[in-house]
Amino acid sequence: MTSPRGFSPGDGQPGVFTPFCGIDAADTLLPKPSVEDGVGRGRGVLLLADGSRFEGELFGAAAVGEGELVFTTGMTGFQESLTDPSFAGQVLTFTWPLLGNYGIAAGVSESSGVWPRGVVCREWISHPDHRDCIGTVHEFLLAHGVPGITSVDTRALTRRVREHGVILCQFGPIEMEEEMVKRLEVMTSPDLDDLVDEVSRNDAVLINEGVVDGNGIPKPRIAALDCGIKYNILRQLSNRFEVLWCPPDIGFDSLIVDWQIDALFCSNGPGDPAHSGKAMSARETLAAGLEEKMPVMGICLGHQLLGLATGLETYKLRYGHRGANQPVVDLVTGKVSVTSQNHGFAVNPMGSEPLAPHPIWQSQGAPSALSEAATKVRFVNANDRTVEGLDVIGRPAFSVQYHPEACPGPHDAAPLFDHFSEIVGKEMDGGLPLSKRGVS
Amino acid sequence: MPRRNDIQRIMILGSGPIKIGQAAEFDFSGSQACRALRSDGYEVILVNSNPATIQNDPEMADRIYIEPLLPDVIRRILEIEKPDALLAGMGGQTALNLASTLAHDGSLAKIGVELIGCNLVSIDEAEDRDLFNRVCQEIDLPICEAHACNSINEVLEAAEDIGKYPLLVRPAFTLGGLGGGTAWNKGQLVEIASQGILHSQIGQVLIEESILGWQEHEYEVMRDASDNCIIVCTMENIDPMGVHTGESVVVAPQQTLSDRDHQMLRDAALRLIRRLDIKGGCNVQFAFNQDTGDYRVIEVNPRVSRSSALASKATGYPIARMAALIAVGYTLDELPNPITGEGTTAAFEPTLDYCVVKIPRWPFDKFRTADRTLGTSMKSTGEVMAIGRSFQEAFLKAWASLEYGQPHPRPLSMADTSEGEGMGERASEELPDEILEEWLRVATDRRMGALYEAFRRGWSVDRVEEITSITRWFLHQFERMAVVDAEVVEAGKRGKAESITSEMMRSWKSNGLTDAHIADAMAGYPTTGWRIKENGVTEFDVMSRRHSLSIHPVYRMVDSCAAEFAAVTPYYYSTYEINCEDGIDRVPHPRKYSAEGEEARRLVVIGSGPIRIGQGIEFDYGAVHAVQAIREVGHEAILINNNPETVSTDFDTSDRLYFDPLTLESVSEILLREGADGILLQFGGQTAINLALPLDGRLEHLSGLGLNLKLEGTSPDAVDEASDRERFEAFAKRAKLKMPHGLTGSTPDEVRAAVQEIGFPVLIRPSYVLGGRGMEILTNDAQLDAYMSEAYIAPDKPLLADEYLGHAIELDVDAVSDGEEVLIGAIMEHLEEAGIHSGDSTCFIPPQNVSQEILQTVEDWTERIGIGLNIIGCFNIQFAICEDELYVLEVNPRGSRTFPFVAKSTGIPLARIAARVTIGAKLSNLEIPERTTGLVCVKAPVFPFIKLRGLDPAPGPEMKSTGEVMGSDIDPARAYLKARLATELPVPTAGGVYLTVKDGDKASLVPIAKRLSEMCFTLYATTGTANALKAGGVPVERVYRIAEHHSPDALDLMRQGKINLVINTPSKSGGAVLDGNMMRRLAVELNIPFVTTMSGARMEVEAIYAAIDGIPEPRLLQVDYLK
Repeated sequence: MTSPRGFSPGDGQPGVFTPFCGIDAADTLLPKPSVEDGVGRGRGVLLLADGSRFEGELFGAAAVGEGELVFTTGMTGFQESLTDPSFAGQVLTFTWPLLGNYGIAAGVSESSGVWPRGVVCREWISHPDHRDCIGTVHEFLLAHGVPGITSVDTRALTRRVREHGVILCQFGPIEMEEEMVKRLEVMTSPDLDDLVDEVSRNDAVLINEGVVDGNGIPKPRIAALDCGIKYNILRQLSNRFEVLWCPPDIGFDSLIVDWQIDALFCSNGPGDPAHSGKAMSARETLAAGLEEKMPVMGICLGHQLLGLATGLETYKLRYGHRGANQPVVDLVTGKVSVTSQNHGFAVNPMGSEPLAPHPIWQSQGAPSALSEAATKVRFVNANDRTVEGLDVIGRPAFSVQYHPEACPGPHDAAPLFDHFSEIVGKEMDGGLPLSKRGVS
Repeated sequence: MPRRNDIQRIMILGSGPIKIGQAAEFDFSGSQACRALRSDGYEVILVNSNPATIQNDPEMADRIYIEPLLPDVIRRILEIEKPDALLAGMGGQTALNLASTLAHDGSLAKIGVELIGCNLVSIDEAEDRDLFNRVCQEIDLPICEAHACNSINEVLEAAEDIGKYPLLVRPAFTLGGLGGGTAWNKGQLVEIASQGILHSQIGQVLIEESILGWQEHEYEVMRDASDNCIIVCTMENIDPMGVHTGESVVVAPQQTLSDRDHQMLRDAALRLIRRLDIKGGCNVQFAFNQDTGDYRVIEVNPRVSRSSALASKATGYPIARMAALIAVGYTLDELPNPITGEGTTAAFEPTLDYCVVKIPRWPFDKFRTADRTLGTSMKSTGEVMAIGRSFQEAFLKAWASLEYGQPHPRPLSMADTSEGEGMGERASEELPDEILEEWLRVATDRRMGALYEAFRRGWSVDRVEEITSITRWFLHQFERMAVVDAEVVEAGKRGKAESITSEMMRSWKSNGLTDAHIADAMAGYPTTGWRIKENGVTEFDVMSRRHSLSIHPVYRMVDSCAAEFAAVTPYYYSTYEINCEDGIDRVPHPRKYSAEGEEARRLVVIGSGPIRIGQGIEFDYGAVHAVQAIREVGHEAILINNNPETVSTDFDTSDRLYFDPLTLESVSEILLREGADGILLQFGGQTAINLALPLDGRLEHLSGLGLNLKLEGTSPDAVDEASDRERFEAFAKRAKLKMPHGLTGSTPDEVRAAVQEIGFPVLIRPSYVLGGRGMEILTNDAQLDAYMSEAYIAPDKPLLADEYLGHAIELDVDAVSDGEEVLIGAIMEHLEEAGIHSGDSTCFIPPQNVSQEILQTVEDWTERIGIGLNIIGCFNIQFAICEDELYVLEVNPRGSRTFPFVAKSTGIPLARIAARVTIGAKLSNLEIPERTTGLVCVKAPVFPFIKLRGLDPAPGPEMKSTGEVMGSDIDPARAYLKARLATELPVPTAGGVYLTVKDGDKASLVPIAKRLSEMCFTLYATTGTANALKAGGVPVERVYRIAEHHSPDALDLMRQGKINLVINTPSKSGGAVLDGNMMRRLAVELNIPFVTTMSGARMEVEAIYAAIDGIPEPRLLQVDYLK
């Protein structure tokens, strides 16, 4: 029996005595559960809110899948996608037709769970092959209670989403079609739910407490606001900082008083950035960080929240960017990075009209600036010119819409973490981290 | 970075003749580059020696030279043209080596030409194994332990250092890994390494640690001058390391790497291309150990390659076009992605929602004696690609595209151990497990069929993995194919086609089974062959059943983005979904209308499939011209083909491209989808014309589904009249055309009787063949018995026996007929006597030794045949002149392989004119350019002997050449010399000549030998020939025949480097047969030119005489062409 590897990024780092240990979603397959032969839960049907229907075969957990239908175009990294909390509330379609060629591996998950509310594919592979493989995608979904539907014409489905925009859907046994049609009629957008609350951490924990650099000097402490943070962000941060993994609503005062942080990071996450729930709390903390001129970095939802904090608006994209091949241009250097992306909302640059209706605003009105700071667009998508990154003018703060931590996807943008590390270093100006000043 | 305005004139080098390791992919990349640069306002100068390419059509470049690709020639053209820049990355290894030579010797600097795309340092660092390894070490990329060696002693030291066999031998600077191999012991090491040193342009081989059994992966990378990098496509070989990637079955994108594995290799590929500072496209190969996650960098091609052509077709991303634009300064983000239009830029990585499988096309069906083992050097002549939504579908579609005669994997039997036409009686003998295991263990062209067979026999994945080291994921896929296969066989036991349910049909079709495959499986794979089924289920039955269930394929666009963006590229493949709407998936494009408001016709052109012996790039040229002719007059041109290397499968060649097998089934479905009005079958070689009759037979059924199709041009009946021996004989008699006496036989006794009646020597061959397969000249009963024991005879496949016209001059005529009038493109005279396959002959435009009177008769007969057979479109006739009498040998009612040569020699675009006539134009209404006069143009064949061991390197009635070159000059000898130089074999101007000819040729050898002697060559000859020469007063040194086992014999002299030319006319009997074979084999390996006909010898001497004056001045094609 192989023992669970879990998630413990601080393990083995110099100065760390009691590294934090969390759960890797694949741990549920260790030891391999004895699942029944999963092939074929029978005929299924996928119903879209516009009335179209797609037949297929059910697999994974025996449940009805419901959510907002989106698609991702990545050809590898399905496990990372399934465990990416940003997919909460959604039914995820894989355009790559052979789902799970290399199976599920321990230590590859991006969180402790599987977040899409359902999975749609053309074919799932019952005989995956890889040295690290501990199970099939079917077993993985089953273990996490997530339903799937296969043998679907995903190409036609993707075209549907492209033409219509993201769309609500239900899928399940074909016998339940009538019932699902009714449920679909009354179904509301998951954007209205506090999805960040669903996926984020409830308590604060130092994951590599005591970490020191090569010279034995304590590393700066960073608060990672978890709006649905991916493990590889925590890994990347913990290689450079002492990381406080904390809830999105921890509050800036607590971070300063109780935790004495040196820098602030806001993670990716699901749903509408303008939601009044926990995303709003994170936004307020970011604004406070900016006002304090603290080094701040945001990724994905964190980027949108930083935009909102500085008075920019956000809007919902027609069908989002989800995949591993999105080209992003750095407007300062002119260079292009191929990036990993997973987002349905975007920041509207200053002076432009919102491009799509915003479900939350209708009830709450547009947001107002929480911070005095102004931003400049630094990165744009080379295809559709949407905002991909912001620099906060005159502050040690920036954000990107895409995923420099990759997993899945290319590593082109990885230097951004070093860039942030340098910013923090410069702000420390050679002094000991704020968090350690009391000690010395 | 913006476009470079400091350069205006760019020279592009082509890759020369089609040969093993360098096929049509460089016509494709070179054409893309020419078009991209010209449409951006640059003046393009092109040099290529191959007349058959689209690339050197007069409208492709501003200035075109069809000249030998030799440093001296290129230098001279550079001096004449003085271009600003040289783009060498589009012409394969040939162009890269030329550029490298001219850069190193200072010519480029002296003339003031900048090498663009890839700089000299990059080329050297990527190509010189030692430098390359140092580069990898410098940036911490793992490489195999290896030593670069320049001598055998160094090789042995290296072997000692590494300390274990097997060792891999890789020569530096060669194409297709020529001269490399895996050595299991010291003896093999010495043998392979000495070949490698010889063939390497810099005399260097690399001795490497073996990574046999590891996976092989390729990354196609693009980089621009601003250091933006993307991966266009990843590819994974099914065959583990040890088989050249050009010889491997390849899947795109890679299937078995996790995201972590893939990103690790992606990072490595990007680091490497950045360090090498490559601007444009390149290809990085990795070995990957699936058990440990270790990898090794294998090599980098700092240029576009066969793999990049495949990647372009697999993703839709036009690598060569982008590489050319990058070379002139553009950055990727400035360039739109032409697939999706304005929506996306070229700076993104294509993502696929389908699986692509490439299978190489090997020539072993023609070369039965050649060694079929696959290794680190290439043997395949071309490849096919197929696209499907599952691996199985893509694999079986690719298989169906191969055209070996079996469109799907059938159970293997002892018949498969012989490559005879049929071996009918052995078909019922099961292939023993031991042989099957051997076929799995040793990589040959049979391996994929053996995989299928192993799982049919219920072998476990573990067992097959143990034998083959193939990644388990693939084996599971094969296992599943066998399961589905068995399911169909079972269903066949329970009922016929009518018993197939909709669910079964959808499941089988989405697993990639063709109608023919289903029919064959349901019939239980009868040993009589897949076509012949007594009381079984036929392909037609299955299709009819499928159509009655309303099950048709759906067509999906290759859009580089998995449908994320709406694409504008009409590039499609067919697939069967398990769940999708019933009925025909009609093409969504509205009909085009002409300016006059007339509805455009939808015309389908059939391509020619994979490049193979007998069906080369010429037929892609034909298909592209047909498409262009259709588009010119405002109709819609729809192209179907399965060859990823070609211009025809470039997505903007036609109005719509279908990347699908060229089978009756897939062509029929496309016709239905398109609601096509017409189909052109004359331009895709034998592949296309072979569809004429079967398609004709299906028209009634298809019209029931609403298709109103016309077979454009020559009617199927006329095609049959021209191709069917007996019908044509009857026609010839009526038209008063003389033919060699010929008879057919459908049984061995009939054949013997026919031969008896005609009398020896006879030319014997099977009917309806491609490239003369199985054709032989027989001189006695013993040979006849031997031939019959291997030949396949059946009532529907008779053998033809012809009177053999000895010492005849052979003529080829390419012409177009509109039913009323005939346009003769050119009459070509073969240098070799009749009996050598016309595809292998050297030929001249205009004829050099034929009287006006006979030429007049040729024209007259050509007209009579064209009009008499009611040919509408193109045709080709072979004539022979024997003792001043003209004979018709053969009529091909289709475009021939000499069409492009004729067009480039005469300035008459024959294929284009033929296409216009085929779709209804009259010759009298077409503007036909004036014929170029005053020039002699020579076409010479290029042979694959160096790559294929076990094949007798002498031309004969079976075609053996892979490609051709052209030379032109006002002087015939200089024209011939150019063509000879372009074949890339040296033309000696001093040294020794070895002469050994059969008795009948001895007298005519004397004047030839005399000239050689006068030019100060030392002559060597065996006793008989020497005596004849001495009697003729020619000084000669006598040497032993090889069979005499005395030194010095010819082989010794050749090895000592004393022989620079061999003149040997092969005898058909006696010890001289083996002698000649060994000598020619050695000549091939030592790169010594040899001549096997007397007429060839005469011309060779003329060429040598001309060569003493130096290389003839290059000639600009358009001077004569575009007046």
